[in-house]
Amino acid sequence: MRSLLLVLLVSCVAALSVSAETCLKPEVSASAYVTEDATVLTQVAFTTQFTLKCTNGAKGISLYAEVDGKSMPAVRLSADNKYQVSWTDDIKKAHSGDYSVKLYDDEGFSAIRKAIRNGEDPASVKPLAVVVVNNPGVYTGPWINSELLAAALAALVSYTAFSAKSKLLA
Amino acid sequence: MKCQFLLFVAAAVLMAVCGEEEQVQQDEGARLLVSKNVHNKYLVENMDVIVKYTVFNIGSSAALEVEITDNSFDPDNFAHVSGELSARVDRVPPNTNVTHTVVVRPRKAGYFNFTSAEVLYRRKEDAPMLQVAASSEPGMAFFTSYKEYNKKFSSHVVDWAAFAVMTLPSLAIPFGLWFSSKHKYEKLSKGSKKH
Repeated sequence: MRSLLLVLLVSCVAALSVSAETCLKPEVSASAYVTEDATVLTQVAFTTQFTLKCTNGAKGISLYAEVDGKSMPAVRLSADNKYQVSWTDDIKKAHSGDYSVKLYDDEGFSAIRKAIRNGEDPASVKPLAVVVVNNPGVYTGPWINSELLAAALAALVSYTAFSAKSKLLA
Repeated sequence: MKCQFLLFVAAAVLMAVCGEEEQVQQDEGARLLVSKNVHNKYLVENMDVIVKYTVFNIGSSAALEVEITDNSFDPDNFAHVSGELSARVDRVPPNTNVTHTVVVRPRKAGYFNFTSAEVLYRRKEDAPMLQVAASSEPGMAFFTSYKEYNKKFSSHVVDWAAFAVMTLPSLAIPFGLWFSSKHKYEKLSKGSKKH
């Protein structure tokens, strides 16, 4: 009986200590920037900054992010509870569309690592919050060179002119 | 000669001691290598410049409270597009990378020296002092003016359209003359067939 009580107490304390660190009902307001004009760049940069709001007023939580199978720590910024997640990708590899940045706290992140180690599906771990970064598509330059287009047009005009002339003379 | 030999021995001993000290330092606590890279093909005024800071821990334990601060992009010369130039990472475990990316836009053309960023971190949990480090320096660079860049790399659509308009009369006038005379003769030949 006593041992059961102790176990209960320990679990209570554990729950308390966890609740002091975890963020309850996390709310995230984010802004994101993706370098779209890749004519002068060698890589595409994805950056997002967000503020985390918890109803229990938790502060200073270490956050980790996971995007497309890559995991990285969220970097803390000067303001309270403001974080940044940023990464770069090859211009050819970066796909257009939505990237979902899944955010985890310490516990969630270790659960994910454990799941990967044990060969389980890491998607079973629920993220604290998800930030969506949209990449509208990277511009790498015009689809066709204007001088090429001009040369093709000139060739077309001269071809029609010469063919018309030869038809008349025949 | 003897003196030289003695000096040499002294130097060797000194180096060994230093090396040992370094070894001891390396063994205990974290040690960070920080690089600052610019991921641009061309640096152009008012266009994005990607600056990426990579922190790698070669030490034996995790670096704590790693703070990267870069004061080299002053707001007069650079617009901060995204990402903050002062960032903190709670923990960098040994043999891992942490990256931080910032996008800035130069406001003016001209020479600019990319200097290093400052990094502060705690080498171990109970370290009394913060370790100060500096990132690598990308070095001197030249920001091309947007006008100059455009001259070289834009698709010159307006210029080519102007060229097309200018060549149009010399093509259209002969064509128009030929077309009208053709029309006239066709009319005549049609008329002659009727009669």
